[in-house]
Amino acid sequence: MAESMTDIVKVKNIVKDFRPGFGLVRKRVLHGISFSVRQGEIFGFVGPNGAGKTTTLKILMGLIHAQGGSASILGHDISESEYRRHVGFLPENPYFYDFLTGEEFLDFYAKVSGVSAQERPDRIASLLEQVGLAHAGRARLRTYSKGMLQRVGIAQAIVHDPDIVFLDEPMSGLDPIGRKEIRDLILRLNGEGKTIFMNTHILSDVEMLCHRVAIIVEGEIRYVGSSEEFLASEERSADVVLARLPADAVQIIEERFSAPMRGQGDQVEMRIPEKEVKDLLRLALDTGAEIVSVTPHRVSLETIFLSAVSKGPRQDQAKEESR
Amino acid sequence: MISPTRVGAIAANTVREAIRNKILYVLLFFGVMLIGIGIFVSTLSYVESDRILQSVGLASIRLFGAAIAIFVGVGLIHKEVDRRTIFTILSKPVSRTEFLIGKYIGLVATLWMQVAIMAVAFLVVSLISHAPLDSGHAAAIWLAAVELSVLVAVATLFSAFTTPMLASLFTAGIYLVGHVTRDLKELGAQSEVVSVQQVTSLLHRVLPDLEMFNVTIQAVHQLPISSSEIWMPVVYAIFYATVLLALGSIIFERRDFR
Repeated sequence: MAESMTDIVKVKNIVKDFRPGFGLVRKRVLHGISFSVRQGEIFGFVGPNGAGKTTTLKILMGLIHAQGGSASILGHDISESEYRRHVGFLPENPYFYDFLTGEEFLDFYAKVSGVSAQERPDRIASLLEQVGLAHAGRARLRTYSKGMLQRVGIAQAIVHDPDIVFLDEPMSGLDPIGRKEIRDLILRLNGEGKTIFMNTHILSDVEMLCHRVAIIVEGEIRYVGSSEEFLASEERSADVVLARLPADAVQIIEERFSAPMRGQGDQVEMRIPEKEVKDLLRLALDTGAEIVSVTPHRVSLETIFLSAVSKGPRQDQAKEESR
Repeated sequence: MISPTRVGAIAANTVREAIRNKILYVLLFFGVMLIGIGIFVSTLSYVESDRILQSVGLASIRLFGAAIAIFVGVGLIHKEVDRRTIFTILSKPVSRTEFLIGKYIGLVATLWMQVAIMAVAFLVVSLISHAPLDSGHAAAIWLAAVELSVLVAVATLFSAFTTPMLASLFTAGIYLVGHVTRDLKELGAQSEVVSVQQVTSLLHRVLPDLEMFNVTIQAVHQLPISSSEIWMPVVYAIFYATVLLALGSIIFERRDFR
């Protein structure tokens, strides 16, 4: 990631209501959300289904209108169309004009994006090469597999060489090979200096790719920041394995650290807060036990996610909003 | 600022989609076939067989053109939204107005190509039957094509905010009413009730006067067609379609694509 702290996407107090069916009652789907995306990062916008991820992305792309708040991309308010010269977008489960060949498809998007006629042939050839579809450029899109469509979709998103690429559930419905190809493509684009904004609910992809995340639940931002920062804010724990611990020491230790011990053979294991590890080891050595291993317990993003879903907004969000 | 390049790209893509769509060929086939059937229909009469042949031919061009305009036109925007292709297009520096105009021009161009093919069929059938041909027939076909540009604008307006089913009903309704607004106005003028006169006059002004584009009778009977009967409908069509597209654009601009 480029070491820059410039915020190139700024979202402030966005509110969106929908009117289900023909009723007069409005349902609020975004409750004044705020976050920002920094230049050069891969930003994960994470949340369960129906949390408001796609709605937020569509507001940023000018496809739906917010009732309140403001948003800017690269310094342009999203009500202007100027910023769209600098952004690329791949919607969720995209359908493309399947009567077109890969080359015709990219040529069409290059034309509407303002790529000149002289540049287009080389640009299209290099894009097809970049997404691994050079062999399929003359085939109609209706013959493409889902993974190929997703890759040609990313190609159309970057056909005009944008600074920031918005991807809505880019791994959705792909097999492991397809997901790896898209992951590699995202990393390559980020390596070329493009900022990536990615909507997803696949947490393993977020852990592997994203520098920072925002967690959205029921139209409210519950967390914005790096996963490392979040992990640091969680109470860390460690798994300690001891051998030859005297029987009377087991009860003393369990009472002292308020944690159960699981035994197997002459070894016992217990999970305790990281800050108490030293005390436990000292006590265990005093009783003549042997220390087999101390393994820091890593909190997964899934744990963070579930914790964010169950809790209210965190303080980190307030910090982000006040920036 | 509307970019001709972007509008042109969207229009060209719409034409390409139509050309690769088999349903259009089926409709076109039936249109051409009906023109050909005119040969057999004309043999039913010992007198005026040429006129019957050409009446059937010109009516086929107008009816099949209208059918294609309505059924393809109403799905114009809906299909793009339904299949989410509009998401990627509008995320580019393309305004919604450019998109709407591009789709409109694309469909009008497609329809004009269909009319041209049916016109060739009409020409061939007339030559085979030794029916007379003159500039009146060309004027009738030209005005049928111009009428379709108004009908597509109506379909585009409705497809900008409603479902294809409703849009096709509304457009077909406007097409039918559009052919009687002139008669309605004349009937209203004969009424002694002022409000009836005002309502029929208002309907004539607001709804399209599609009979303006119908010179079939003059063409078939080889009656003279004045130049104003040709250029006035063109000016009217440009004005009417522009107003409808502007209205459609305002509605389209406010729409959420969920």
